[in-house]
Amino acid sequence: MKNFTKNIIRDTSAWSVATLALVLVLAIPYLAFASGLLEGTGHKWQHLTTYFLNKFFVNSIILILGVGFISCLIGIGTAWVVSRYQFWGRTVLSTLLYLPLAIPTYIMAYIYVGLLGYGGTTTKLGQWLGIDTVGYNIMNIYGLIWVLSLSLFPYVYAAARASFSKRPAALLETATLLGASERKYFYSVALPMAKPAIIGGLLLVCMEVLNDYGAAKYFGINTFTTGIFRSWTALRDLQSAVYLAGLLIAFAIVVTLVIRLARGRKSFASEHDSGAKPERISVKGYKHFLVFCIAFLPVLFGLILPIVQLLMWVIPSFDGDSFQRNLVISLQSFSLAAVAGILTVIMSVALLYFSRWNRLPIIKKLPNVSTVGYAIPGAMIGIALFSGGRQLVDFAAESFDWRIGYLIYGGIPILLYAYVFRFLAVAYYPIEATRLRIGTQLAEAAYTLGDKKLKALRRVELPILKPALWAGFLLVFIDTLKELPLTLILKPYDVNTLAIVAYTYADEEQMTKAALPALMLVSLVGLFSFVAMWWQKRASQKTEQ
Amino acid sequence: MNKIFLFALVLLLAACGAPDKEEVTIYTHRHYDVDQQIFEDFEEETGIHVNVVKASADELIERLQSEGDQSPADLLMTVDAGRLVRAADAGLLQPITSETVTSTIPEKLRANDNSWVGLTKRARIIVYSPERVNPENLSTYEGLMDSTWNDRLLIRSSGNIYNQSLMASVIANLGEETARAWASGVVENFARTPSGNDRDQVKAILAGEGDLAVINTYYLGLLLNSSDQQEAQAGEAVKIFWPNQNDRGAHINVSGVGLTANAPNAENAVRLIEFLISKEVQELYASANFEYPANPNAAVSDQLKSWGEFKEDDLALNRLGELNDEAVTIFDEVGWP
Repeated sequence: MKNFTKNIIRDTSAWSVATLALVLVLAIPYLAFASGLLEGTGHKWQHLTTYFLNKFFVNSIILILGVGFISCLIGIGTAWVVSRYQFWGRTVLSTLLYLPLAIPTYIMAYIYVGLLGYGGTTTKLGQWLGIDTVGYNIMNIYGLIWVLSLSLFPYVYAAARASFSKRPAALLETATLLGASERKYFYSVALPMAKPAIIGGLLLVCMEVLNDYGAAKYFGINTFTTGIFRSWTALRDLQSAVYLAGLLIAFAIVVTLVIRLARGRKSFASEHDSGAKPERISVKGYKHFLVFCIAFLPVLFGLILPIVQLLMWVIPSFDGDSFQRNLVISLQSFSLAAVAGILTVIMSVALLYFSRWNRLPIIKKLPNVSTVGYAIPGAMIGIALFSGGRQLVDFAAESFDWRIGYLIYGGIPILLYAYVFRFLAVAYYPIEATRLRIGTQLAEAAYTLGDKKLKALRRVELPILKPALWAGFLLVFIDTLKELPLTLILKPYDVNTLAIVAYTYADEEQMTKAALPALMLVSLVGLFSFVAMWWQKRASQKTEQ
Repeated sequence: MNKIFLFALVLLLAACGAPDKEEVTIYTHRHYDVDQQIFEDFEEETGIHVNVVKASADELIERLQSEGDQSPADLLMTVDAGRLVRAADAGLLQPITSETVTSTIPEKLRANDNSWVGLTKRARIIVYSPERVNPENLSTYEGLMDSTWNDRLLIRSSGNIYNQSLMASVIANLGEETARAWASGVVENFARTPSGNDRDQVKAILAGEGDLAVINTYYLGLLLNSSDQQEAQAGEAVKIFWPNQNDRGAHINVSGVGLTANAPNAENAVRLIEFLISKEVQELYASANFEYPANPNAAVSDQLKSWGEFKEDDLALNRLGELNDEAVTIFDEVGWP
């Protein structure tokens, strides 16, 4: 015991304290949450367990399995094809494959009902062609799996692609020399190496699925998140809602653990990871067409058709005034999302490296705890922050007679904090995956050359991490642009986001009006992705020179 | 990196700055364009700036509760009476003292203590396909449990407040036991598992998935006047039936506004309420959003006129709020998703 304490004292450093401090700052909503849990279940808990709990578990598991499987299939398949083969339209498609992420899941749900539903676009097309089609009802759990997969698979795609395109030429050469076929190379070398990244992407998909509210509600599917809202709003039992959210978090932790187990403990470091990339294979004939289809179909269903549907709503009801209003809102959306993205990336890097530099084993594991925020429904985070904030406001009012309510209620800082809390996982996992792949040798080399830790990070590691930092930033940026419940609850009056405007119209069943902000949201993300990629390309060309 | 930071800082500051001026802050669950236009008209007429926060009523009530006496909100606007009753019960509202309000809006559309006041009425009605349904078979909400409608009835999920209020009105009028029997009878007659919104139910009639649906009046108005041709077509494919005309009348609910307990700009807030119940604004609600005006002096629009006059259920609206819990409980018990 004595030794144990001694070890702790010996191993504690400024980095341990810094990590702990960051984790604690990010734990505020958990604390508010925990104090909620201590108050016990609410008066409707019995009712909920009798009628719903089974359904919540079963539906959530079906959704996770279904969406997880389809997202991996599409995400890995497309990532492999665009990083391994040369085919017509490759460059454009490889970028477009990120963009379905720009369409919020609930908008995707409305779009597909518009495309396939009664009196929808299919019907119109049928009439035009002289075929009598009435449309197809997709408002069920399978429809939900389809809709969620289409807007979430880019998480897996982004992760897998980053990993596939980084695979060193030397490995491929070795594999080919040893007589491995293309298929064997994929299954035995490329896929295992990409596994940490893919699993990171898959985790994000699962958390998004658990967190989805709008699409599940519209389709009438009972999930944990719709249950939380039902218990809170319809049953007027916030206490039980908090408990359901607690269960959801526990569920999310189990999912995280199961998926992390699958990843294993391996980290892959290659001394020859010098960025030398193998040539892409050119394919001819039907294979060319096949490869093209693998990359094109997800773009067709996840992006092109949805945009066509949005345009069909926008064009008949377009007016300049609302365009102008939405333009202003675009700017606000953009600024909020950009700042949230930068803050979240900084926070991720700090957590990853502070915890690595510290020597206490328990602290090393701590940052993973902070990423669970992704599974907590945004609305619950909002409420937790409000109740936590209220205690602060009351304290300030009673102790110092300061009225600081305006800082907490509807202030930008609290909104940004909430974004960082909520989206930490999104930036954290890709950066962590790349860090695992880099290994520690480079940093250690820098230390032996006399660099301090922060200097080594800046000079050696951050430049290598750059693609992952960009990826993390981009994902948080997009997620913030789409974010709904948190923003709804916490936002200041004068700030609006495209997602909020789109949602409020969609909620009132006015899709023709929701379509314009939704379309602008997609365009904004698209435009920004292109700029970011161009920027990145130029930067990497510069470093090569 | 530094430049990005500075840029972010400037944006933040720009977003934070708010000049001092006459203002009123409204938390609203009404997400209609016409509201924005009305607020702008108010600003023009009075010079009082209107801050608008849009979210669901539950979130707004939660927010009001957390904010306590430092809340910037002056008004809470909802799309149903139940949530206003809930806010009043939680002590979040104060009586509106205005001669104009009490003399303009009928008593049954206000809170007993005038802490909230209805702005517009919406009726929950039956629409049917005239080809497949003989309106003589339609009578009341209770009639919907009749086996005639087996596999033919369309209605959205029970998570929706309009259904909860309808159920609350059934409980209030006929008692809990009858209400439970009614709900399970209706569940038996579902044409499909409840999904989608009110508009989707009407489209499903056009598609032949069901023959009749329960929806709110103003959605039908919005469908008929939609810029989407198919939507308009769906609206034209159905006819309205006013239920319970020979007994208690059709179920109505209000969209209304309450004055918050700690309103920092209470005076401006009351001015806004008086503006909202004025004849002009009330007629705008009717013509742009197909809601029935709460002000009896306001004329209804042609669209509303075409649906004819109807008898309203005179149930006190606060009962809808009081019985909301019970309504949801019954929905869950009978398996109405």
